[in-house]
Amino acid sequence: MSLKTARVLTVVYLALMTIFVTWPGLLPFARIEPFILGLPFSMAWIAGWVAGSVVVLYLLDRVERRHRSEGPPELDPARVRDR
Amino acid sequence: MEQWLVVSIIIAAYLLLTLTIGLAAGRRSSDSVTGYVAADRSFGLLVMYFVTGASVFSAFAFLGGPGWAYSRGAASFYILAYGALGMAPFYWMGPRAASLGRRHGYVTQAQLVKGRFPSKSLSSLIALVSLVAFVPYITLQMRGAGIVIEAVTDGHVPLWLGAAVAYGIVVVYVLFAGAMAVGWTNTFQGIFMVVIAWALGLYLPFRLYGGIRPMFERIAAERPELLTLPGLTATGEPWSWGAFSTFIIVSAVGLMMWPHLFMKAFTAKDDDTLRRTVILFPTFQLFLIPIFLIGFSGVLFTGEPQAPDFILPFMILETGLPAIVVGLFCAGALSASMSTGDALLHASASVLVQDGVTQYVDLDDRAQRKLMRGIVVLTAGIAYYFALDPDSSLVALLASAYGIISQLAPPVVSAMYWKRATTSGAITGLLAGIATALFFYTNPELKPFDMHEGVLGLIVHVPTLIAVSLLTPRQDLDHLKRFFS
Repeated sequence: MSLKTARVLTVVYLALMTIFVTWPGLLPFARIEPFILGLPFSMAWIAGWVAGSVVVLYLLDRVERRHRSEGPPELDPARVRDR
Repeated sequence: MEQWLVVSIIIAAYLLLTLTIGLAAGRRSSDSVTGYVAADRSFGLLVMYFVTGASVFSAFAFLGGPGWAYSRGAASFYILAYGALGMAPFYWMGPRAASLGRRHGYVTQAQLVKGRFPSKSLSSLIALVSLVAFVPYITLQMRGAGIVIEAVTDGHVPLWLGAAVAYGIVVVYVLFAGAMAVGWTNTFQGIFMVVIAWALGLYLPFRLYGGIRPMFERIAAERPELLTLPGLTATGEPWSWGAFSTFIIVSAVGLMMWPHLFMKAFTAKDDDTLRRTVILFPTFQLFLIPIFLIGFSGVLFTGEPQAPDFILPFMILETGLPAIVVGLFCAGALSASMSTGDALLHASASVLVQDGVTQYVDLDDRAQRKLMRGIVVLTAGIAYYFALDPDSSLVALLASAYGIISQLAPPVVSAMYWKRATTSGAITGLLAGIATALFFYTNPELKPFDMHEGVLGLIVHVPTLIAVSLLTPRQDLDHLKRFFS
């Protein structure tokens, strides 16, 4: 995945999270049942978005790190040859 | 032996251990301003993780969190939601701030803003805003420590003494060891706090209701309004969606603008450490789940604490736990209070000297460190004075502190990312934002949709910053090059 795609997807996740943990995105999920792992649904819903952000940031970091170790694309010989 | 004596011995042992760790860590720090303020930029992942986590989780989370869950129910979920949102942009902003810091020698965020927008009044304004927000925050931590100690020792150790001893120790290690001590004590306190919270958060629901789900099922049957979003207000009325949503937004925006947290960007060893801290931070956030469980476990419990914030010590004492557990809990709560309090004291001194005093008076490295130490004692003294006042409405002040501190976000972000921003734009924006926030804080009945005054401030602040910047001549190109190069 390219660095740009990874960054865009991360921002999209954070934007969706903002929408779904505040009004009005939270409205359809603001209920008590069904219980998830014993927690009321709304609490588990918010906790799920928080846990998801760890995964999303971890994946972003993998892409960012690969990119940094390779250096910026214009210095990458393979790509320069392609041009 | 009497219970309160056992508890006191455990607390004393805990405090002694904290002091030892703090002083031992300080010996590893160099005798310079960078050493004192930014720990020679040496923190690795373990320390950074706990420094950030433990400084965010204060007495407010440890005592206020269960208090909110107990009295305001689902309203408390806002605390769970904002941390991850507020921290994530720091994945990019943190390393950027750190690299600017290394290049130009910044150790505070006001220095960074001033580096881009050269104005003494702007940086003094930022220092002032930070301090106004800091004092009630420190006071709250001290009061929290005092309350816990008084409650679990049956009043044998009164609030004034408990707060004085706990914060006396904090002042000592902050004075002698600076950022290095704050880092290592927070690591110790953070681990302690997480273990205690999970242990109690799982124990209480199982002991009282036979499990987490049975507990919530009973609350849903008997007090359904508590589990219905957006929860209740402090007086038991239904809370508004406008307030719930904007509390999340203002806290997310304000979170990393707290100088004691933002300055951590300058303490990290390298950018990777900083990035990994950001990735792991939400795991610390999930530690609010057991915190809420503790509060909810008190809902259907007979008897009532003297105030919702006392629900945690109340449950501990009422469920007849052994003295050793009570003592350990108390140490956990002290950890929460002290790990935030030390970071706050340390940051307030760094900010006041670096961004206030040194702009007007020329001080050498040695004199600066001396002055910072003096200010640590002074700030602690002021906060202690307020902590003893039982009528101080500090919780209200803290809520507005977030409104004020969040106004630092537009100047900080535009300093690092928007080349067209100008000094006049940053100053007018900041003034307009603060004025708006203060206006709605003092006239809450005028707030549209019951929105948090900090968000209303930002709604005025950001367009003002953009408009004034575009109307004033762009910054000198050489200056921009020097800053960003």
